[in-house]
Amino acid sequence: MAAALLAAFAEPAAAQALLDWTEAEVRVVGQHGPWPPPPARDPSNRISGALAGIALGEYLFNDARLSGDGLMSCAACHQEGRDWSDGRTRGKGRVDLDRRTPSLWNVGYSRWFGWTGAGDSLWGQSIRPILDPREMAGSRERVSRLLREDKELACGYERAFGTKPDGDDERLLVDAAKALAAFQATLVSPRTRFDDFRDALVAGDREAAARYGLPEQRGLKLFIGEGNCNACHFGPRFTNGEFGDIGIAFFVRPGEVDSGRLGGIATLAASPFNLLGRYNDDPSGTSARRTQHVRRLHSNFGEFRVPGLRQVGRSAAYMHNGSFATLEDVVRHYSEVSPDRLHSDGTPLVRPLGLSIQQSTDLVAFLRSLDAAPPPRPAPPPLCP
Amino acid sequence: MRLLAALSAIFFANAAWADCPLDLGRGSGLVIFSDHYMIAFRPDPLRIEVGEPFALLFNVCTKSGSAGELVAVDAQMPEHKHTMNYHPSIVSKGDGRFRVEGLVFHMAGHWELSIDVRAGEEIERLTHDYYIK
Repeated sequence: MAAALLAAFAEPAAAQALLDWTEAEVRVVGQHGPWPPPPARDPSNRISGALAGIALGEYLFNDARLSGDGLMSCAACHQEGRDWSDGRTRGKGRVDLDRRTPSLWNVGYSRWFGWTGAGDSLWGQSIRPILDPREMAGSRERVSRLLREDKELACGYERAFGTKPDGDDERLLVDAAKALAAFQATLVSPRTRFDDFRDALVAGDREAAARYGLPEQRGLKLFIGEGNCNACHFGPRFTNGEFGDIGIAFFVRPGEVDSGRLGGIATLAASPFNLLGRYNDDPSGTSARRTQHVRRLHSNFGEFRVPGLRQVGRSAAYMHNGSFATLEDVVRHYSEVSPDRLHSDGTPLVRPLGLSIQQSTDLVAFLRSLDAAPPPRPAPPPLCP
Repeated sequence: MRLLAALSAIFFANAAWADCPLDLGRGSGLVIFSDHYMIAFRPDPLRIEVGEPFALLFNVCTKSGSAGELVAVDAQMPEHKHTMNYHPSIVSKGDGRFRVEGLVFHMAGHWELSIDVRAGEEIERLTHDYYIK
């Protein structure tokens, strides 16, 4: 089977349009798919995947009344027309923020949330900006009152959860966040030119594979080969879901650092909304396994979540603090990163790649092949027709 | 085949080890040993995926026939000198059986699993190499 596959790709007829791909390379490329994956389901959220919950979540996502001043919804920063981010270098809530607003594409498949993994569930993470005085500055009382007093939302709540909104404010805040999570988990990025190539390569369809441009193919070879980018940007979403220090400056302003994952783990442990708490709907305990075992390491200082790369060309700026404006800047960083800034006792995972102009161009071409224009979204259904 | 024969010879040459249950269900497990210990283990699920939590089931046997204790399990990537981002927990199931939860290999490549066991005062470390693709 493998020999036949290699023989097929060794045929000279279309050699100008298809690079030689070894059996090992085909296997590694195959690990970046298939796409899309099955719909995300979160056992810690009892309305995950439920249509009524998704509908309620979409209404809440766009409802500015969740915020303290009634002026800022989730959609103010996570804008559909900006690939569920805001197009800004760094986020802006009631004040300017220190980190970039992450895109919500494929967020339902994540295991850690926020740049530092301070959230261990999408619903837990969705509570943070609502309550954060720098962002929406809302409160549990405000959210719960909205669910009780707005007739349409109250009806949507009852349909989603099977009971009327009661007097437990914290419970209602969590339920609102679970509806928000159910909606966000439906935001799955579309198939891309890379996916067509990946599927053709794995299937041995030489003609279809050859439709993928040579710069993209060269960039992909670099990505999974010399660049070793897939050590962290692994799998169908191009992330292993964990954290890394890639040599970005720690300081957010003179004398103040962003400790990254180190602080994220501490915040997670202190949160009443983590998966070890009373609001986890998963009786098996399986969903809490990472939280239960996560280890706080000195090396967590300055680490940030490895972002997925799907739609990466559509969601500038880059890095947790928006320090790079373009994909070209990102590739230049990996080409020239100072080894003095990176601490590793062994072979460093991030090292200056010393890319040529051609290699840099190819790598960017490959990354852009992970982009695709999403189809228009239908208007949300009425909550209670 | 030669390894199997060698293992069998060592195994059956010692009465205490002959009682060591190597079958951990769903076929069998891997076996590693030292002068004092024989350890059978297998992952659950059987296939370890990059970034996915898994457990390890252990049977810890001693040459003397006394009860062996699994003290610690950890893993690191020798090339990069980093550990897992998770600290595994050990639950004793009695009779030298243990279940270790909370392991995650977050990158493809070579991982060295370290297994610390004790049957008295001294702790001994045994290792096993995993190559995750």
